[in-house]
Amino acid sequence: MKNVRIWFKKDDECRFISHLDLNRCMLRALHKSGIPIWHTEGFNTHPYATFPLPLSLGFRGEKECMHVRLTEEYDFDDIKNNLNKCLPLGIRVYDVTEVEMKARDISFAQFKIKMSCDEISNDTLLKYAEELFDKDEILVDKKTKKGIKEIDIKPYLDRVKLERNIGGVYLFVVLPAGSVTNINPLLIQKAMNKYFDIDVFFDVTKTDMFDKNLKSFK
Amino acid sequence: MINKDVEKLLLKVQKPGRYVGGELNSVVKNKDEIDVRFAFCFPDTYEIGMSHLGMKILYSLFNERDYIWCERVFAPWLDMEELMVKNDIPLFGLESGDAITDFDFIGFTLQYELSYSNVLNMLKLANIPIKSKDRKNLSQIVVAGGPCSCNPEPLADFVDIFFIGEGEEVDLEVIDLYRECKKENKSKDEFLKLASQIKGVYVPSLYEVKYNDDNTIKSFMPKDNAPAVVEKRLMMNMDESYYPENFVVPNIEIVHDRAVSEIFRGCIRGCRFCQAGFIYRPVREKSIDTIDRQCHTLCNNTGYDEVSLSSLSSSDYTDIIGLLDRLNKWSNDEKVSISLPSLRVDGFTDDILNKIKTVRKSGLTFAPEAGTQRLRDVINKNVLEDELINTCYTAFNGGWTKVKLYFMIGLPTETYEDVEGIAKLAQNVVDTYYRCENKPKGKSVTVTISTSSFVPKPFTPFQWFGQNSREILMDKQKHLKDTIKTKKINYNYHDADTSYLEAVFARGDRRLGKVLEVACEKGFHFDGWSDCFSLKNWLEIFEECGIDPDYYAVRQREFDEILPWDFLDYGVDKEYLIKECKKAYEDTTTPHCRLKCNNCGAAKYRGGVCFEKCKNMV
Repeated sequence: MKNVRIWFKKDDECRFISHLDLNRCMLRALHKSGIPIWHTEGFNTHPYATFPLPLSLGFRGEKECMHVRLTEEYDFDDIKNNLNKCLPLGIRVYDVTEVEMKARDISFAQFKIKMSCDEISNDTLLKYAEELFDKDEILVDKKTKKGIKEIDIKPYLDRVKLERNIGGVYLFVVLPAGSVTNINPLLIQKAMNKYFDIDVFFDVTKTDMFDKNLKSFK
Repeated sequence: MINKDVEKLLLKVQKPGRYVGGELNSVVKNKDEIDVRFAFCFPDTYEIGMSHLGMKILYSLFNERDYIWCERVFAPWLDMEELMVKNDIPLFGLESGDAITDFDFIGFTLQYELSYSNVLNMLKLANIPIKSKDRKNLSQIVVAGGPCSCNPEPLADFVDIFFIGEGEEVDLEVIDLYRECKKENKSKDEFLKLASQIKGVYVPSLYEVKYNDDNTIKSFMPKDNAPAVVEKRLMMNMDESYYPENFVVPNIEIVHDRAVSEIFRGCIRGCRFCQAGFIYRPVREKSIDTIDRQCHTLCNNTGYDEVSLSSLSSSDYTDIIGLLDRLNKWSNDEKVSISLPSLRVDGFTDDILNKIKTVRKSGLTFAPEAGTQRLRDVINKNVLEDELINTCYTAFNGGWTKVKLYFMIGLPTETYEDVEGIAKLAQNVVDTYYRCENKPKGKSVTVTISTSSFVPKPFTPFQWFGQNSREILMDKQKHLKDTIKTKKINYNYHDADTSYLEAVFARGDRRLGKVLEVACEKGFHFDGWSDCFSLKNWLEIFEECGIDPDYYAVRQREFDEILPWDFLDYGVDKEYLIKECKKAYEDTTTPHCRLKCNNCGAAKYRGGVCFEKCKNMV
């Protein structure tokens, strides 16, 4: 039995597939492609796949990852090509690798966010964003299992970069992610809307995952 | 493709995957190379519409033609509809993301009467005038098909063309005619007149209805050479009939998320309440070779690990064991499970059970439909209590502990004794469990009774029957509830209010168009959903329009009355329905088509079950 990581991009229409549906979609593609993956041995046997860090509904993913076990040897290139034939175009496998780090090593995720707002110009938007990150404290409501809680996201925003180019206003940010702490980038959107009374749109792409030493997840 | 205006709304609604398309096997074409754009509209949510087999067949069939681009359109759920209206976004097709406003055809499948408000609402959302006479050009042709087309009259003001019967051939003939007319710059009227000459096409605007003083129909006359009787279309050779090799595989979970093979059309049984059992006559089977090939191809092309053998009564397939044996040759190795919906009580045998993979022994469902033998004879549901008990005995010994039983209340001649019979039958099933020696250890049994209220439908022997009033139906529900004494029996019932409105539209006439028009103006939609349905609001509209809904639902009709759908020919003679109706009131059953031909009229199609015996003799 061999553990492998299947790396893929999730974009276009497919970014609106929820994590649960992505799981189903992947299993169907694995079944169709005939790649020999391990099935659970329980009462209701089913093919087994795990995802180290699920992507929020609506986000684009440039470096998403699925973990499966192969029951027989299977060429990595064949896995990639055969799976791509069986997946909707919005999901593209780009690499298949051996497992190096553990899923629980993931501590941070990196996002690229295109910000836009119909009410104000991009220059104003950029100014607002700079103002927001200059504040000593950024309070937003966060939904938790126990209900809505107000938290300060400022301490998590030490790796932020703003960029204004022809395409619009971009925010690059590294946020805690993984099994311990998770800060969703949409909390920043929420803060923008709250502090400046605007309706800003965030087009979010998750670009990478890191361990606690900011080493890229493999 | 995601419509740019829609994109920003997607994160504000539940299940955005409903509105984006981009699924495996969905068909995207270059619109500059297309002559005819067809919006295939299912008047309900994505999850419901995507489960519908008819749409899958026609979607693939249309898209095989290089000059047609057929796109799927579903009713947006309440949250999305609100945002679309607020942001001025017209209803769009999932494949292109384009508004369907200027499409050549807007096609609806009519699966249930309560979706009529959604049909009109979808036209409204697409910025298309809802009334046929307000759409003047040769474009935006609104067509409709499906089982409810067998009484098209309530929608006569809105739909340009109804397809009567099965659509595989007639739909394409009409599309091709449109393409010709468009090239020749013909008018919409000219096109409709030509279309009415195609068999299986009903153009409501070419018929004039006159009423008597009591609102019954006085005459129903064709104009402009339209046929006086419109005959249904049907596919006589199921092996050669088109079937898709590919399904669009939804990215989000839908109601029936599996591959489907249709093993036959029609039903031999002739249960007298069942419209499908009459309008799809005669029974026409696919061969084992064809089913086997279609199932295997579909599983390979979609990746589904479950295939369902669909029909009105799957255990009536002539060689069901042979079929399952054949499928099992590859299905086990490829980890594909076979499911058999619509099993009759008397079709549930050990032999079948061993061949369908039943991993989850969660529940079994049977439909005795009525509580006493007398009433089951009235409706011609030829199932005996002993058969049900034996079947449950088999199931309990095989490890099942939950049984669901479906019944109808409000059937013709029903008494309170018959209603009590439902509880008694359920109790008998409970007792059977405790008689079983091999029942699962330490587990209790649950029997769930579910009742719906009987809705009389066109083209059945009960088409003249006055539905029980809502008061009587609710009293019967209460009586059944009071009769049940044990907690091992659960009782659910469908709301009588929805069944009442369904009965009004099922046997309505053109005068109901006004009611639907007002309902559309007032923003009615999703009446099949308890989130939206309110009978009170509907009754207000009926009052406003001066129409008495009881006239359609509750009134007992006479055999000599002209019924709104009498001009349609579904292959079963009206005399036969009258004969069956009389037999029902005499508690007399009719044998099924394979035991004896009862001369219903469907033999005129020269095929199917009517000629099975001849085939065997040759």
